[in-house]
Amino acid sequence: MTLRILAAAIPALVLAAPLAAAGPLTMTTRMMVEKRVAARDGSTATTMIPATRAVPGDRITVVLAYRNGGTAPIGNLVLANPVPRNVAFRGAAAGSAAPEVSVDGKTYGSLDGLRVTTPDGATRPATANDVTHVRWRLSSPVAAGQGGELAFQAVLK
Amino acid sequence: MSALGARRLLLAGTATIASIGTAHAQSTTTGTVAGTTITNTATASYTVNGTAGTATSNTATFVVDRKVNLTVIATPNTPKQVNLDQVDAYTTFQVTNNTNGIQDFALSANQAVLTGILTGTDTFDLNNLKIFVDSNNNGVYDPGVDTKTFIDELAPDGNATVFVVGDIPSTVVGKMAQVGLKATVAAGGTTGTLGPVLVPTPLNTLNQDNEIDIVFADDDNDGLIGYDTANNGAGWAYGAYDIGVTAVNLSVVKSATVLSDGVSALNPKALPGAIVQYCLTVTNSTLLTPATGINLTDVIPANTTYVPGSISVGGLGTGGVCLTNGFTQNDDGTPPALGPYRGSFNATTKTVTATIPTLIGGASVAASFRVKIN
Repeated sequence: MTLRILAAAIPALVLAAPLAAAGPLTMTTRMMVEKRVAARDGSTATTMIPATRAVPGDRITVVLAYRNGGTAPIGNLVLANPVPRNVAFRGAAAGSAAPEVSVDGKTYGSLDGLRVTTPDGATRPATANDVTHVRWRLSSPVAAGQGGELAFQAVLK
Repeated sequence: MSALGARRLLLAGTATIASIGTAHAQSTTTGTVAGTTITNTATASYTVNGTAGTATSNTATFVVDRKVNLTVIATPNTPKQVNLDQVDAYTTFQVTNNTNGIQDFALSANQAVLTGILTGTDTFDLNNLKIFVDSNNNGVYDPGVDTKTFIDELAPDGNATVFVVGDIPSTVVGKMAQVGLKATVAAGGTTGTLGPVLVPTPLNTLNQDNEIDIVFADDDNDGLIGYDTANNGAGWAYGAYDIGVTAVNLSVVKSATVLSDGVSALNPKALPGAIVQYCLTVTNSTLLTPATGINLTDVIPANTTYVPGSISVGGLGTGGVCLTNGFTQNDDGTPPALGPYRGSFNATTKTVTATIPTLIGGASVAASFRVKIN
C-alpha cells in the first residue's frame, strides 16, 4: 500500500528502474582474489578465485561482464564502477582495457593527469590510492548478442 | 546469528549511504575491520538507435575475514636486576594486537627457556610464577592493583603491558632465571571474559561469502630455536631475571672517644666514671649497588655500664669518626620519632644493636652509643 502511494507520487524514479532492467544491456559484476597455488613441480601459479576468503592486503580483481541481449547494436557504451569502500585501486587487470580513472567522480582521465586538493588548499599529483571511480568508454558499438569483460585490480585495505 | 545478520545489514546500509572514499576504519595499519562487507555495483549508459538507456549491474559482496596477527616483545630487552629472596620480581612485556578486529589474549609462561634465545644461561627458576596485565598503564607492576590475568578487548593496533611476576629463591644455582611469555589470540566481544582461543578456519571448508573466516597471519616471533612458529595465532617473547651482584663490599670501623671524666673538660681521660662514646661507621664501597638490612651488633666492654638512651644511628661519619649525631633510638627497639633506623640495647646480653635499612653504594653512615666506666 505504502509502495503504491510512493509510486504514484514519484513515477519518474520508479519507472526508471524497470526500464533499465528491461533494457538490452545486462551487466554482472564479481570480485575475485588472487591465490598463489603451489604446483607439483615446485612452481607457484596465481589463480583467481571468488572473494570468499579475503583479508586486508589481499589483491582483488573487480570484474565487469556486459552483454547485449537485444537485437540492435548498442552504441556510446560507458561502463562506470565506483571503487568499493575499503578497497584501493591499483590498475587495469591483465587482459582488460585500461579504464579512465577519477578522484572525485566528475573528472575522468589518466591517473598522471589528475590532481588532488589537500586539506590546506594546495594540490598534489593523484596516486592510485586516491582513485574513487573508474569507467570505460567503448569506442565501437556492441553488436546484438555480443559482450565482453572488463576488470581492474585493487587491494583490500 | 540474527544479531550478526543485523550487523551486516547495518554495515551494508552504511556503505550505500556514505559517499565513496570517506575514511572509515582505514587509519589503522591492521586494515579493514573483520566483518566489514565490501560491495561493488557498476552502472552503464548507452544509446540504441539514438535512444539513451542505462543499466545497473548486480551487487557483488564479500565479507572481510579476520587476519590474526600479533607481536610480543620484552621491554626493555635486558635482564631485570633482582636480589635473592626478592618477592614479586617481574619482567615486562608488550603485546600488540595487529589483527583487524578487537581481540582478547590468553597468557601463559614457561620457565624452560632453550639456550641461545637470550644472552646468558638459564640456571634457576622463580617460585610462585604469575602473569598480570598492567591495568593502570603505569608500566610498573602494582601488587593488588594489576590483577587481570588475560588481555581483555584489545583494539586493532592497541597494545597492553604484561608482567611475569615471581619470587626469587633464597639460594640459587648460578645467577639467571629466564622466562618465556606466550600470548594467544582469543575471541573478543565480551568485556571481562576471556573468549575462546581462535582456531583458523580450515582451507577446505566450504566458505560462504558472508562468513568471517579466521586466517592466521602472524610471524614466527622468536626465531628458529624458540617455541613460536609462524601462523599459529600466538606469539612468544623472553625475559630474564639476573642476580647481577650477590654481595657488596661492606666495611665497619669502630672508634672510642672519652667525652668527659669529671676532672678535665679540655682533655678528658678514661678514668672510672668517665663517659666514653663508641662510634661505628659502616661504608658500602660497592658503587651503584645498595646494601639492605644492615644489622650492627656490639657487646659493650666489661667494667662499663651502658648509658640509657644513648644510641644514635644515621649520623655523618667516616673512618670510624662520628662527625654528627644521627637519630636517637629507643632502647627497647621500638620505632623512634624520626628516621628509618632502629636501635636497641639488650641488658641481659649487654648488646647494642643498630639496624640500617638501606645503604646506597659508595655511602657511609654512622652509629654511636655511650658507656660509663665503672
